[in-house]
Amino acid sequence: MSENGTRTDPLDPTGVLKGMRDAAMTNWAQMMTHLVNTEAYAGATGAMLDASLSASAPFRKLMESTMAQSLANLNMPSREDFIRLAEQLTHIEMRLDDMEAKLDALARPAGGGWNRTES
Amino acid sequence: MGNTSTRTALDPFQQVCKNWHEAAKNVRTFNRLLSSDAQIARTPKQLVWTLNKAKLYRYSPMVDPHPRHKTPLLLIFAIMNRPHVLDLRPGHSFVEYMLKQGYDVFLLDWGIPGPEDKNLSFDDYTLEYLPRAIRKFQSITGAQQFSMLGWCLGALISTLYAALRPDDGLKNLVLLTAPLDFSDKAAGGFSRWASDAAFNADRVVETFGNVPGEMIDAGAKMLKPVENFVGTYVNLWDNIDDVGKVSAWHAMNTWVRDIIPMAGAAYRQLINDFYKHNRLVEGTLSLRGEPVRLSQLRASVLNVIAESDHITPPCQSERVMSLFGTEDKAVHRVRGGHIGIMAGRGAEHTTWPHIDQWLAARSN
Repeated sequence: MSENGTRTDPLDPTGVLKGMRDAAMTNWAQMMTHLVNTEAYAGATGAMLDASLSASAPFRKLMESTMAQSLANLNMPSREDFIRLAEQLTHIEMRLDDMEAKLDALARPAGGGWNRTES
Repeated sequence: MGNTSTRTALDPFQQVCKNWHEAAKNVRTFNRLLSSDAQIARTPKQLVWTLNKAKLYRYSPMVDPHPRHKTPLLLIFAIMNRPHVLDLRPGHSFVEYMLKQGYDVFLLDWGIPGPEDKNLSFDDYTLEYLPRAIRKFQSITGAQQFSMLGWCLGALISTLYAALRPDDGLKNLVLLTAPLDFSDKAAGGFSRWASDAAFNADRVVETFGNVPGEMIDAGAKMLKPVENFVGTYVNLWDNIDDVGKVSAWHAMNTWVRDIIPMAGAAYRQLINDFYKHNRLVEGTLSLRGEPVRLSQLRASVLNVIAESDHITPPCQSERVMSLFGTEDKAVHRVRGGHIGIMAGRGAEHTTWPHIDQWLAARSN
């Protein structure tokens, strides 16, 4: 595991311990890498993740609708409102980008090709 | 006599005190490294274009215009990590190296997706953001032909672009650890996990919108759990007196800790279309209704493969070469892992010079 571990002095007790530690970690690492690459691990983690997300879904939806209702009652914008606004801004940015590209094309010399700029 | 016996009695005691002092200093250094950020991505650059969270940077040239290569280089990194690993630290930066070799280097940073970006998919990255960035990049440089280097999912996006827009000026394509072919479901942990019927990417996206960075980070670390959760810190402790190794570790750890979410729609597509159904290689992938045919890819291709890559195993990058339409294509295998081949200590002597030589021969 460690680069120092390969150069230990057998008369140095800490060096011997370090060598034992490295050997143990190498074995542990191989075992764990093998374990996480098995079908059983893949199936178990997939099923566990799916179960936990499914179980939390009703609470999450309840929380979201309660929060949205509370904000609406307080005349406050919700998260969804902000998301819609941000999406609209991105669309406007894209239109501006198109206009900028057209201006760049107009600014190009009539002979074709672009100006080479250096910063 | 008395003096000698006092000295021999004190020497071991002094040695113990010195050792404790050293250990205390090492603990302080260890804590500082874990709780602070290194200075990374320091190469001077200018922001030349933005769209939503995406930013296009142009690095300040390091050589005079005359010996500079005519074909500029655009770097594309993955969408679920920050691109700073391409410019890790002064003296050990791929960007800095390429600037010194005379390239005009640009970087497209996808940015950090917010909740409003949960519907961003590979369609948007490939056919909306990337072409617009390239349009600006061509406008600034004046070069109609350009080179593109994509790493990890950046390589996937670059490949999709190269296949869908073969006539838009892409001359050279460098792919680094490109996950393209998912036919071998037993190759590597991600393939096995994502291909499992129990893994429901739709449920993850429905729950979170964007997939949290912590979840992606934990998944990547679980591919080699002992090395990532324990071994890295043991290595740091063992080398704590080595300034060079400590500074390299600190820079890499700063990048690793800077985790970002992944746009939900892109994640869903990655798992369902690529990992589960291997649509790109099967020829059944369409982006915005346009079928993606790798045979349409006509740029010269250098495919750099990491032999010990546990995130993108070599088979995910190598077999696809025969499907590319270009005649000028090469595979370069490098000893090392997914990140190590570009950011490890040996990268500047192995991977970087090879990329430079391959590109230089095609950049004038």
